[in-house]
Amino acid sequence: MGSLLDKIDIILISTIRMSVPITLAAVAGVFSARAGIMALGLEGMMLAGAFCAALGSYIAGNVLIGLLAGIIGGVIISLFHGILTIRYKVDHVISGIGLNLLASGITTVLLQTIWGNRGNSPEVNSISPIHIPILGEISPLVCVMILVVILSWIVIFKTTFGLRLRMVGEHPKAASTVGINVNRVKYISVIITGILAGLSGAYLSIDHVNLFVREMTAGRGYIAVVVNILGRYNPVGALGGGLLFGFADSIQLVLSGDNIPGQLIQMIPYIVTLLVLMFAVRYIRPPAGLGKNVED
Amino acid sequence: MKSNVKILDKLYAAKGISNTIVLFLSLILALIVGGVFFLANGYSPIDAYAAIFIGAFGSFPAFIMTLTQATPLIFSGLAFAVAIRGGMLNVGTEGQLFIGAFAAAIVGAYIKGCPAYIHIPLVLLAAAIAGGLWAALVGFLKVRFGSNEVITTIMLNFVAINLTGYLVNYPLKNPEGMMAQTKPIFDSAKLPRFFSQYQLSAAILLAALTIAVIAFIFYKTPLGYEIEVTGKNKRAAETAGIKIDRVVIITMFISGAIAGLGGAGQVMGINHSFIDGFSPGYGFEGVAVSALVANNPVLTFFSGILFGAIKAGAITVNRIAHIPMDFVFVIQALVVIFVASPKLVGSILNIFKKKGDK
Repeated sequence: MGSLLDKIDIILISTIRMSVPITLAAVAGVFSARAGIMALGLEGMMLAGAFCAALGSYIAGNVLIGLLAGIIGGVIISLFHGILTIRYKVDHVISGIGLNLLASGITTVLLQTIWGNRGNSPEVNSISPIHIPILGEISPLVCVMILVVILSWIVIFKTTFGLRLRMVGEHPKAASTVGINVNRVKYISVIITGILAGLSGAYLSIDHVNLFVREMTAGRGYIAVVVNILGRYNPVGALGGGLLFGFADSIQLVLSGDNIPGQLIQMIPYIVTLLVLMFAVRYIRPPAGLGKNVED
Repeated sequence: MKSNVKILDKLYAAKGISNTIVLFLSLILALIVGGVFFLANGYSPIDAYAAIFIGAFGSFPAFIMTLTQATPLIFSGLAFAVAIRGGMLNVGTEGQLFIGAFAAAIVGAYIKGCPAYIHIPLVLLAAAIAGGLWAALVGFLKVRFGSNEVITTIMLNFVAINLTGYLVNYPLKNPEGMMAQTKPIFDSAKLPRFFSQYQLSAAILLAALTIAVIAFIFYKTPLGYEIEVTGKNKRAAETAGIKIDRVVIITMFISGAIAGLGGAGQVMGINHSFIDGFSPGYGFEGVAVSALVANNPVLTFFSGILFGAIKAGAITVNRIAHIPMDFVFVIQALVVIFVASPKLVGSILNIFKKKGDK
């Protein structure tokens, strides 16, 4: 009995921990999607965020600077995505894929030029957990995640900016007619996406572990796109979806002690994503302007 | 998700912009930005590109290396091109390549006693079917559930790499030796090499043959026409009486089969067994190979050789200047981005023009 309770405890804690990067990235995706931009570049933003966070923490020896650097890394990639799709009318999907490939290539090159190692960075300072009653030791970024979810929900559904954002995503022409600066709203949302995706990546490298590993996002950016849809383009829904995938990730931890080959366990989140895509998101209606480039 | 399908339709219908100049400039721009990397490494870009050129074409072994590096890229570029012609973004060639390679290794190592002229086709067939079915699943998910193929292919990549990783580490691991690889394939399943001292194998001829078959399908058969029309405009295809669901699944099958053959080529020509995680990303490189020639299946052969040359040259540069080979992936990603952004390329061109006017 004791061991069962222990396992439930482990699953609960690690579900919350593993839900952080997915939820943050999915909320990041909500801002883009609501503005009509398909955020298929989340993977690249997270990877850049993870890398820059490790680099910032390595250089400054300070995790706050690491976090900030991670955010900047995410914003750089997201701004590229924004400029390519908004200004140069590039296909959102191709831009996303191209930037993901770019982030993967650049981080691997920089790993070698900065640290002379193709696989991972040296250990860097990482964020230390804080003590919270009942849950115990937990990362402060868990609190940040909850705060981000609540604030994002308020911003999107209860503020003028949110109203404009949703209008831009649903019907950019109409938004433009009533005097909304469509591109400005889009760029702001793209930057918010970059900040949150960078934060999500930073969590992976300087909180969940304490180093950058090549390709450490491992498809989480794509999973976040699905969670974003599953959560009906709503930050609160993103948290729900994030917890589901946090659970799928955390099962790995519990099973890995039971002699089940690691490769099989590692497939779980991807198979869950496929199942969600097949059965859960079919009838969810995206913002009407999603992925469309408006000719001006 | 459902309306994503519609969005993609429109995007593909609106494309048709990539002309030769944009393609060429995209490559040049990518190489220029790549040059910045050399500078950042304290190495002259001109010296670096000269070294790449010599490393790729400067000698007979160098040219052989170029062709060896090009072989898997031609397959994955062709696979990507075929899928995008049918309106599908197959970023899953990496996974299909793993599945095809694995099937090839199993049929090559466990079917014994048949002559090479039966064994080789059998192995190739197994790889093509395995890779094809793996990709057809994506087509099925698209038409049945409207699942975005970019996400399903990426997810299936991770599943394929982990699944083959499991099989090669546990039930099908070669008991002799420590490495996670399958039993070596029989000699009757090996593709002949041109020269005993180089890895270049008949796989490159197989790539050329595959391109010929694809060109025949595309330019001479109703299926090719149906794929093209479906890719260009789904609604028009439907009106014309084309069963687009069927076409999408077949397109993905063909694309995956080609990727699977690419994996088989590596197993049968170079490694002679399936090695855990053997591909450094050949599948993803196909995106750039295809993009550079505006997804023209026949031209992927030359585009593949070009990127193969850059990779072969990069090996030399890595040896003499210790510049990480991965800068090749940066150049590839930039090619993908620039090719997709004719307006960006155009405005960069304008900057140069204005400077020229002064």
